[in-house]
Amino acid sequence: MSNIPFRSDQVVEELVQFNQNLSKGVKNLLDAEEISAGVTPREEIYAEDKLKLYRYQPSTGVVQNKIPTLIVYALVNRPYMADIQENRSTIKGLLDTGQDVYLIDWGYPDRADKYLTLDDYINGYIDRCVDVMRERHGVDKINILGICQGGVFSLCYTTLHQDKVKNLVTMVTPVDCKTPDNMLSHWVQQMDIDAIVDAMGNLPGEMLNWTFLNLKPFQLMGQKYVSMVDIISDEKNVKNFMRMEKWIFDSPDQAGEAFRQFIKDFYQQNKLVEGGLKIGEHDVDLKNLKTPVLNIFAEQDHLVPPAASQILPKLIGSKDYTELSFPGGHIGIYVSGKAQATVTPAISDWLNAR
Amino acid sequence: MSDNNSWAEQWFKAQQQFVDAWSDMAKTGGVGANASQSDLWAQSFDMWRKACEGKTQPDMEMAMRKCMDMGKEYFAMAEHISKNMAQGANPAEAINQWLEQMKQALQQFSGMPGFNGAGVSDFMKQWFTPNASWQEMVAGLTPMNQAMWQLPGMNTSVFNLGEMIDPLGKVLEAPGVGYFREPQEKQQKGMQLALEYQEANFRFNQAFLRVAMESIQGFQQRLLGQNGHNLPKSLRELYDLWVEISEEHYAEFAMGEEYQALYGDMVNRLMIMRRHYGEMTDDFLRSLNLPNTREIDTMQERLQQLRRDNFALKKELKEIRATLAQLTAKPAAAAKPAAAAKPAAAAKPEAAAKPEAAAKPAVAAKAAQPRKPAIKKAAAKKPAVKKAVAKKAKVTRAKAGA
Repeated sequence: MSNIPFRSDQVVEELVQFNQNLSKGVKNLLDAEEISAGVTPREEIYAEDKLKLYRYQPSTGVVQNKIPTLIVYALVNRPYMADIQENRSTIKGLLDTGQDVYLIDWGYPDRADKYLTLDDYINGYIDRCVDVMRERHGVDKINILGICQGGVFSLCYTTLHQDKVKNLVTMVTPVDCKTPDNMLSHWVQQMDIDAIVDAMGNLPGEMLNWTFLNLKPFQLMGQKYVSMVDIISDEKNVKNFMRMEKWIFDSPDQAGEAFRQFIKDFYQQNKLVEGGLKIGEHDVDLKNLKTPVLNIFAEQDHLVPPAASQILPKLIGSKDYTELSFPGGHIGIYVSGKAQATVTPAISDWLNAR
Repeated sequence: MSDNNSWAEQWFKAQQQFVDAWSDMAKTGGVGANASQSDLWAQSFDMWRKACEGKTQPDMEMAMRKCMDMGKEYFAMAEHISKNMAQGANPAEAINQWLEQMKQALQQFSGMPGFNGAGVSDFMKQWFTPNASWQEMVAGLTPMNQAMWQLPGMNTSVFNLGEMIDPLGKVLEAPGVGYFREPQEKQQKGMQLALEYQEANFRFNQAFLRVAMESIQGFQQRLLGQNGHNLPKSLRELYDLWVEISEEHYAEFAMGEEYQALYGDMVNRLMIMRRHYGEMTDDFLRSLNLPNTREIDTMQERLQQLRRDNFALKKELKEIRATLAQLTAKPAAAAKPAAAAKPAAAAKPEAAAKPEAAAKPAVAAKAAQPRKPAIKKAAAKKPAVKKAVAKKAKVTRAKAGA
């Protein structure tokens, strides 16, 4: 410790620099306009309750896959993460590589949605959106791309409705929710989920925010803002940072009954792995899933550890299974330049080949 | 924006003075022992922040607030180290003194039953951000009930829970009497639950305090153990290392059984208390002949079930219509083989005779079109699919970007 190469004048210089950056950044923050979310043009195709089914405007001059792809996003956070900015858009990447992309936007559930169950989401909302797409395109089956919790829903849906799904892509999807490195899972094991839902009705988005930020509190609530000072003197960086910031804190409430079942069945009882999962009246056994599956996970994912996804081939009945690991985190897999260059084209290649 | 510009100008002037002052100090070799530049910095930022409130986009305001808060803590760290250096310590000693100062500051809270993270100053405040943000969130989620469950003195940092519980416990155990016996018992129960939640919250905070002190020790050990290698060469590197070590200690704590039990207990007790007060509020509303949560829940549950039934019926109806369309289309096609060549023209005379009847099957047939032929198509495709599956009976693994 005696050799720490610090000089007092250097410390002061650093602080002066920090302060100058902050001053410039403050001006940029003051001048910044409201941050928009979602960049690719889209059309509303179907709506029900707070759900909207969007179709993204296909890219011109690209040979299009005749089988449309439905993106099923998580109920947690908002789906514009997949289309956050022009050069960081998974959706645009899919369009540019020939996919016909639809997305379910779940909206913001309120008290009137408290009694929505997983059955309502999976065999109700998703199934009706799939039917709308099948009818529009005159096809029996469509492709599904499930993201995170949406991946869990997609696995359940595909297992129950294989006659309607041609190919399934799961991204950062928690299948084994009790791997030893899963902090989220560790935290909920002793929680009385019934008491939470009974007391709160819907689970407030603020509670989810608190939970996610506290997985890495020093980085996510401290270091991030110190590091932000380094970059906010550039106006473009301010916008990009604020887009992410907006997304992080844009957490819809969770419909009470769906939340109750999701945490109990998946995170506390790990039923996708242990068995015994029922969605409504239907048993879900992943062994019955014979659809081709592309399973993508992020190697540095602190929300869904890789092992939580990697168990999938041991559980499903499909003989056409492909796995793609991405050297990044849970968010980087959608927004990083590396992901745009590798993950999105890989999804399209895989879909186009089937 | 004009307002913003005028405030911005003032701010920039103040900042320029601040920068000049620090620059002068850089030339003279450091911060004076009695100077408190971080305080000045924080004050100017606070003043400016208050002035800008409501004049910026809410998202921007929140980000600015966080940047400034973190900046304040970052400056506090720098100031402590600089002060120690100004008093003659070498950089290593200055950092170690700063860490010891933080440890001592935390030790005063150790064992204090009422400790809730408040009162921790400067840099180590970050260790109690989870607690502070928890309190903030809970207050936001229970705005109506706060007065009920935030018992007198509970929101201060130094009250002694043990001293409070004993006499209060006796009051809470007193039997209810008379006509208002039941509401009185519910009030007592509510207060009891509030105390239990506060106790759980304090146990959680005390565990944080212990781990925070361990992290300082871990930081000191890491710096000692580096043997001159990879030691921080700048303030930022020192800060980043502190974050890294704090995250390591926190992760170990958060993945342990103790955290799971403490956190689970705190959440559960909060929810049980909240549920109890919710029920009391329901009783109160019922007494005023106003709708309460229980009643609205019942209606919502029934409504949701009706919607499910409605969707199921719609689906069934669609299937019946499709079947009907097939049944009516088949005899028509069989009766008029020539119609196959010109179905539209052939259908016309019938449609003219019975416009309604003819129109309905046509619509139904159209609706059914994607279903029936599609099913046939799928059946025809089956062997090919099987072949493809047989060919691809493999697990492929790839690495993005490889």
